[in-house]
Amino acid sequence: MIRFDNISKRYPSGLEALKRVSFELEAGEMAFLTGPSGAGKSTLLKLLMLMERPSSGTLLINGKNLNRLSRSLIPSYRRQIGVVFQNHQLLSDRTVFENVALPLHIAGYPPSETGRRVRAALDGVGLLEKETHNPVTLSGGEQQRVGIARAVVHKPKILLADEPTGNLDPVLSAEIMALFRRFQSVGVTVLIATHDINLINSLDHRIMHLEDGILTDDGGASNGQ
Amino acid sequence: MMGARPMASNQNTREPVTRGASDQKIRLVDRWRSYKAHHRATLFTTLKKMLSEPIQTLLTVVVIAIALALPSVMFLALHNVQTLSSGFASSAQITVFVKKDTGSQGITQLEKELKALPEVAATTYISSEQALEEFKALSGFGSALQYLDDNPLPAVFLVQPARSGAAELAQAQELVTAIGALAAVDDIQVDMLWMQRLATITDVSKKLVLAMGVALVIGVLLVIGNTIRLAIQSRREEIIVVKLVGATDAYVRRPFLYTGLLLGLFGAIVASMLLLGSFYWVGHSIAVLANLYQSQFQLAGPGFSGILGLWGAGALIGLTGAWVAVMQHLRAIEPK
Repeated sequence: MIRFDNISKRYPSGLEALKRVSFELEAGEMAFLTGPSGAGKSTLLKLLMLMERPSSGTLLINGKNLNRLSRSLIPSYRRQIGVVFQNHQLLSDRTVFENVALPLHIAGYPPSETGRRVRAALDGVGLLEKETHNPVTLSGGEQQRVGIARAVVHKPKILLADEPTGNLDPVLSAEIMALFRRFQSVGVTVLIATHDINLINSLDHRIMHLEDGILTDDGGASNGQ
Repeated sequence: MMGARPMASNQNTREPVTRGASDQKIRLVDRWRSYKAHHRATLFTTLKKMLSEPIQTLLTVVVIAIALALPSVMFLALHNVQTLSSGFASSAQITVFVKKDTGSQGITQLEKELKALPEVAATTYISSEQALEEFKALSGFGSALQYLDDNPLPAVFLVQPARSGAAELAQAQELVTAIGALAAVDDIQVDMLWMQRLATITDVSKKLVLAMGVALVIGVLLVIGNTIRLAIQSRREEIIVVKLVGATDAYVRRPFLYTGLLLGLFGAIVASMLLLGSFYWVGHSIAVLANLYQSQFQLAGPGFSGILGLWGAGALIGLTGAWVAVMQHLRAIEPK
């Protein structure tokens, strides 16, 4: 589903964020991406979201080369992936429902379908009764769950998360992780960047380790055991 | 390091896991419906946003209105002056003095020649006797004139040119030359200089109004562009979020284009009210003045099509200003 082939990313400042990174993530697989801050985790996710382009190497998503995707095709690509951001990226001038409905609205779903899907997604994260609230009035954990609902409402094949438990206590973090595992169980490919070592060690999933832009551990072996 | 996972590229042979992502496809008719719905929703949210900042919106609209009303009023005034001056021009006559020793046969001959000229609409003959009678009656020197031995006044043809109006002044000049070449003509008097001056003044004013109109339209473009630029800055976060969840450039642009369109349209509507207001205000005085001159002149208003044209122009200028601002600033806002 996701395949990095000798990907390097060098920023104009000269910083080499990723050095010849290669790995492959199968469809329906769930993996964690760890490493100290500045190791290149965010850069790797940005490449997958097409917020950045690799300096060299090939990035294949479902067999398609992302390097060849023109700028005008980026929106339709982004509609096929779901992204959970560390800082939620929720809009404070609209309700929880409207925030979650945004990807469907942009993609042009009919209103009846939108309502059904949004409620299903909110129900999935246990926030159905908060749909008319403003995200600002919710707790950090609830906001993150709204962010997750928005990331999965259009049923993406790939779910990316950047430090989804960054600001949450262990109990809430465990809840969020349980949510991600549920999506994986229905076939979504999940890639989570985190430095919460304690949390991921308690879970039996593939763990990839980035150190100074180099993928020091592919994590594939542990998954195969 | 790479582990047991093969890095082979047998991508296509892998059986994809069944999942609920097959319903990514949205029916075309639904897409079209939601496209229309988004236009409608954007229009309403834009209106709501504008009304939520009434002072800011009103200020912008009034600035646009004044900038649109000024050239419109001047253009209308100029249009009326042109109508008025073309009325004057049609009353222009060429006075042709006949040589004193021309006999009645020569006069008949001259009349024929004058009427044969293509630009001549009508001729009126005034004999020297008639002229003398007229002069006696009008001048008040009647009794003094009795002491003259013979009639000093020449016979006269009043020639009405066929084509009139400021634009045909050059042709009138040609006609004068043609009449001057006729044998029995002594002298020609044509009071055309003031008409030429009026035409030139109208021409210069037209150019000035055009230049001022262009300058003010550029001003409106800049005002709208700046308003849109500020709106884009204040909605930066929102733009980034919608881009991250797959919004196209057109989707992101839409609310700003609507803002520009509505600002331009509202500005033009207020401008048309200013225009009509000043028209009725001045119109009454003009009617009184025209009456004093025993003229049938009536101030011409902008008309229904003129008002509609102004609205359309305002909306178009607004849209253009917004488009320029959006093109300049929206590309720079990308998720980072």
